[in-house]
Amino acid sequence: MSVRPDDPAKSPSHRLRFGAGLLLGTLLVAGVGHRLLTDSLAGTARFGEDRRAIVALRALTDLVARAGSGDAVRTVVAEFGKAYPAVVSTRAVLFDGLSLEASTDPADSGENAAPRRLKREEKDLYDRGQRLRAAVETNRQEGGARKDEVERERRPDGSLSLAAPVEKDGEVVGLVEVRRLPPPEAPRPALVTTLSYVVAPVVLFALLALVIGEKKVPLGIVAALLLAGTAWGYGAQSWAKLARARTTLESDVATAVKDGGEKAHSLLGTVGLPVEPALAPASWDSDSFRRPLGLSDGAGNVDAGKVGVELASARASLRRAFLLLGALALGLLAFVGLGGAAALARTLRTHRVAYAYVLPAMVGMLVLVFFPFLYGIVISFTDSTIYNTNAPLSEIFVGVKNYVAILSDFKIAQHAADGGLVFNYQNFYWTLWITVIWTITNVTFGVTVGLILALILNTKGLALKPAYRVLLILPWAMPNYITALIWRGMFHQQFGVVNQVIQMFGGAPVSWFETPFTSFLTALATNGWLSFPFMMVISLGALQSIPADLYEAARVDGASRWQQFASITLPSLKPALVPAIILSVVWTFNMFNIVYLVTAGEPAGSTEILVTQAYKFAFEKYRYGYAAAYSTVIFGILLVYGTFQNRMTKATEGV
Amino acid sequence: MGLLTNRSRAGADEPPHFPMHVLLVVATLFSIYPILWVFTIAFSGKQSLAIADVPPDPTFWDRLRAVLPWPAEVSFSNFTSVLTDQPFARWVLNSAIVSIATTVVGVFLACTAAYAFSRFRFPGRQAGMMSFLVSQMFPGTLMLIPLYIILVKWLNLGSTHLGLVLVYSTISIPFCVWMLKGYFDTIPRELEEAALIDGASPAVIFFRIVLPLAKPAVAVTALFAFMTGWNEFILAATLMDKETMYTAPLGLRFFVGGFSQQWGFFAAGAIIVSIPVVALFLFLQKYLVSGLTAGSVKG
Amino acid sequence: MKISRLALPLALAALAAPATSLLAQKEVVVWHAYRAEEKAALEKIATAYNAANAAKGVKVTTLAVPYDAFADKITAAVPRGKGPDIFIYAQDRLGGWIEAGSTVEPIDFFLDKATTDRYIPTTMEAMTYRGTVYGLPLNYKVITLIYNKKLVPTPPKTSKELVAMAKKLTDAKSGRFGLAYSYSDYYYHAALQNAFGGRAFDPGPKPVLNAPENIKALSLLMRWFTVDGILPAEPSTALITSLFNGGKAAMVFSGPWFLGEIAQGVDYGLALLPTIDEAGGKPMRPWMTVEGVYVAAPSKNKDAAYDFAKYLTDTPQAKIMAVEGRQTPANKSVYSDPAVGSDAILSAFRKQVEVAVPMPNLPEMTMVWSPATTAMNTIVKKSAPPKAAMDQAQKSVERDVAALRKK
Repeated sequence: MSVRPDDPAKSPSHRLRFGAGLLLGTLLVAGVGHRLLTDSLAGTARFGEDRRAIVALRALTDLVARAGSGDAVRTVVAEFGKAYPAVVSTRAVLFDGLSLEASTDPADSGENAAPRRLKREEKDLYDRGQRLRAAVETNRQEGGARKDEVERERRPDGSLSLAAPVEKDGEVVGLVEVRRLPPPEAPRPALVTTLSYVVAPVVLFALLALVIGEKKVPLGIVAALLLAGTAWGYGAQSWAKLARARTTLESDVATAVKDGGEKAHSLLGTVGLPVEPALAPASWDSDSFRRPLGLSDGAGNVDAGKVGVELASARASLRRAFLLLGALALGLLAFVGLGGAAALARTLRTHRVAYAYVLPAMVGMLVLVFFPFLYGIVISFTDSTIYNTNAPLSEIFVGVKNYVAILSDFKIAQHAADGGLVFNYQNFYWTLWITVIWTITNVTFGVTVGLILALILNTKGLALKPAYRVLLILPWAMPNYITALIWRGMFHQQFGVVNQVIQMFGGAPVSWFETPFTSFLTALATNGWLSFPFMMVISLGALQSIPADLYEAARVDGASRWQQFASITLPSLKPALVPAIILSVVWTFNMFNIVYLVTAGEPAGSTEILVTQAYKFAFEKYRYGYAAAYSTVIFGILLVYGTFQNRMTKATEGV
Repeated sequence: MGLLTNRSRAGADEPPHFPMHVLLVVATLFSIYPILWVFTIAFSGKQSLAIADVPPDPTFWDRLRAVLPWPAEVSFSNFTSVLTDQPFARWVLNSAIVSIATTVVGVFLACTAAYAFSRFRFPGRQAGMMSFLVSQMFPGTLMLIPLYIILVKWLNLGSTHLGLVLVYSTISIPFCVWMLKGYFDTIPRELEEAALIDGASPAVIFFRIVLPLAKPAVAVTALFAFMTGWNEFILAATLMDKETMYTAPLGLRFFVGGFSQQWGFFAAGAIIVSIPVVALFLFLQKYLVSGLTAGSVKG
Repeated sequence: MKISRLALPLALAALAAPATSLLAQKEVVVWHAYRAEEKAALEKIATAYNAANAAKGVKVTTLAVPYDAFADKITAAVPRGKGPDIFIYAQDRLGGWIEAGSTVEPIDFFLDKATTDRYIPTTMEAMTYRGTVYGLPLNYKVITLIYNKKLVPTPPKTSKELVAMAKKLTDAKSGRFGLAYSYSDYYYHAALQNAFGGRAFDPGPKPVLNAPENIKALSLLMRWFTVDGILPAEPSTALITSLFNGGKAAMVFSGPWFLGEIAQGVDYGLALLPTIDEAGGKPMRPWMTVEGVYVAAPSKNKDAAYDFAKYLTDTPQAKIMAVEGRQTPANKSVYSDPAVGSDAILSAFRKQVEVAVPMPNLPEMTMVWSPATTAMNTIVKKSAPPKAAMDQAQKSVERDVAALRKK
């Protein structure tokens, strides 16, 4: 929209623009790429550190479990500390009697020496143990891997504190906690190399530009090629570094597993613990659920096949990242190079008064509405649930899976045993259908009643107008929490007034909440009652904008009242009424309270609307990602409606 | 001023009033019937929702009696309890402060934006209008926590009326913008153009010429913005950490939470809370009366 | 000019913020959802505690939050470190908060045997999630038999007596019922279900809504409703209150909250829920909800907070809660106090809680309510037989639980 063709009067320098675009593009690629590479290298280093640490810790817990309690545990812990120089301190806790069974922490010497009862300040240690116990039990009961059985905590100095459960006869009886030295700094990519990925293409472009001259198309092609080359080049060199780091890591870990096995075995001898059954070092190299990774055999040999698979997937994700980055940079280049940026700046300058008028309202919207909204959309692409609220988004990213699950379920109805159709009320399309009917009926009712009343109340000289007006807006004024429940009560089978009135005239009482149709009617009656005053007030306001002399002229021309209404009143109401209708469609579509309070979805969830379903997914089923996707779908439907309606009525166009 | 003159001028051309009254009476009965039940519960002195209570083998008249809302005995005890058990008056005052501030901020910001949308042609105008509409489309169910993070953690506006005012204003702005923009569109531009030639600044034109003409629309949006703040419950409950900062709808909810449902107190409170709204409407309705503004100015 | 309008309030807010944080020296903030006399009792206890602990520089302040907003407020505020030090809430949300993390502090470490022993054991069970204790039980709520003394001189002890008595008092046409309770609400129905040994979850936690015992309980309920005809249709809680206040329901199964809704002049009594002859004479075992005192995980004054939690649930304070707050404390020794022991209402609930079952505190429980309610409504509307409806509910809950636990 805002990009306009260049002003021919001022001839811009294509060389300058493409040069600037290329500079920004390469800066973006190199900057983000540098960050990506740094993080990946650090991540790889951390991964290795964690695995070596877990291997050592698992070895220790196996030994402590064999030692049981008392001096044997203390000897194991002490000897372990000697065998692993990277370990700063080790503490072993047994739940029975809240006992600190062994500790190599310098603070735990003298009168604080183990064994002793845990102190008040050590509550966190005990809680950690209980957490591990609960995790082991939970995973076992559910037959899954949901909660960490090895806890890792990285301290601010980069050092790692790990804890793992100690098991006896399948029951967690304690924990071992190990604190390690801060690991060596991870290798960082050289900034100079990165900068060269900016300087080289830009200089090259400058030289080529001198040759090419002020020709838009060749310049653009050259700049784009240079940028694409930069992205490819940076990606390739990143991968080379990463792959090297990962391969080294695997052989390091395999060695660590082998060493660990040997150390543990010799420790068994030193302390005098049973050697059988044999320790299984290969299983120590595990994830945080204590599931073996199986990347090495325990004798120092790396499983090249499995590592290859891991490498391939790492490579694929890196490639995706650089493709995306390259595309973004090319977009930036096109925007700057083709003059979009300049046009944008010009536009902002020209219309600064208008923007200043709109800005304050817009800022509020951006911060308090669109930001939370964006958050919702991001969540919708994840598998976020109550169980993983603290997991980083990248870990629970599931792509469009939630959307597919919602939209691809077409089992709206099935044949029952007796041949009749049974609707599946939980199905998205059923709920959508109900929501659409709900919206159309409500808005139609609200607008028709509101408009008719407003027209009557606008009649000149009608007596008692102020009294009618006030009485008619009361449904809007009263908190709807209570009036909705009164409406629900009015539809009670035996004690509701609606059925009493039906019986007054000889009818049979209706069980309103038994069938979807009657149940729907109760909610419709309630919401219609709640919403017509609003429409009436809007219409009253809008009617004031119609100049009286228009009617005068029409009367002189002999127009009938209906003609006056159709040719003067309705068109004049349009500017104010159309927005109100569009907005009330949106509001009614998302009208949570009334359905929730009046029908509560009865019977069997058949009168739920989309937004009450979304609520249930979030707050009853704790599936935040799925609920967010549901909300986003609602949003999408309304967006399509809004765009369509806007085009039809030209509501944004105005005079 | 228009009432009598118009009548005498139009005379026989006016439609007959009697059917209108019939319609209005029917509509009014429909609108106040549930409200009368609220009154019945409030004045019953009891806590139960009313039920239609009929003797065995009821006659027509028994049933009629049952569907007429009227308490068996009238008692003010629910009202006195609501007003004395808790600092309810203080909460109503808080609500008033918040809602009035919301109205002022919301309507003002909406006016400037709507004026720009109506009178200026600028790139992004349509997108801007659409974005206000779009903001109403995302269901609010999942927004509470991100909103909490922004307001309390980042802006540090927890337990302040300002925080509530900001949220309520932004909630009410989209409707206000659209409503006002539609109305501004109907105001003829000739007046502004004349003023512009006389050398008036855009601000002067806006405040002196456009705003007075748009009074009916401003009245409607003001009522809407006020209601946004006046009845909101969950955000107020989440953001306010001091009882002295609570608002009236928040106080009302104490009566019906969880298992315990003291509808008598709630009904009495609901009536008290509705009074300011009705008063505001009474005040604003003079702007919704026929024969004002745009038409008369043009002539 | 436009920008300054927005910037000014922001600047003001920034100024206001540090001022409040300076005031907090060692303040223990308690959030609760109490109202009226129960709130007054809690505040009285807090005041007494403050007077006794002024020297330590500890000050307890309380904030009442409406129940309907309470859980959301906790979920929003506590994990962000902006919440209270203590909050009081029923155990039904406990599992969810623990799973979400950074909300409830485990208190096993603080607990000693003397403290654990002072509560009714089942209330302590309600505070325990996956083997770890997370709160001290303050009050419990349990449904019991509430009857209109004018209509029911002696309350029934067995289900046969109940049905016989209720039949006599029922005249459905004129809207009179011998028995009224929200039987289609799964929470209320659970009392009957538990009498048969039914349950919502097997250990695991594995949903078993369609357990054979559950079906038996539903069949009995349907007999009461259709064959014996002693129950009203569409039994919302509001309707039950209205019927009882109007003298149109002789007996009601409901909890302590109901007492506050009973109109003046209705002479009522409380009695144990009857035993169920159809279940081999086993008692009806209602679900109990226990209001626990939880220490917030991000609290900076956990020691002080726990100290107050312990104080609040101790016997003298439980007496204030019981006598002045009209609550039923989880502290068991308070019932040997004459002021509490002689109170007909409190001792009736105390007797009832002996056979009560703690309502599950699993997060999966929230997934049960909606399908179970749907099933209950389907059954009482006779749209489906109990077994089919409960199978349907079971399938739905299983699916939801599986969706949550995948991996």
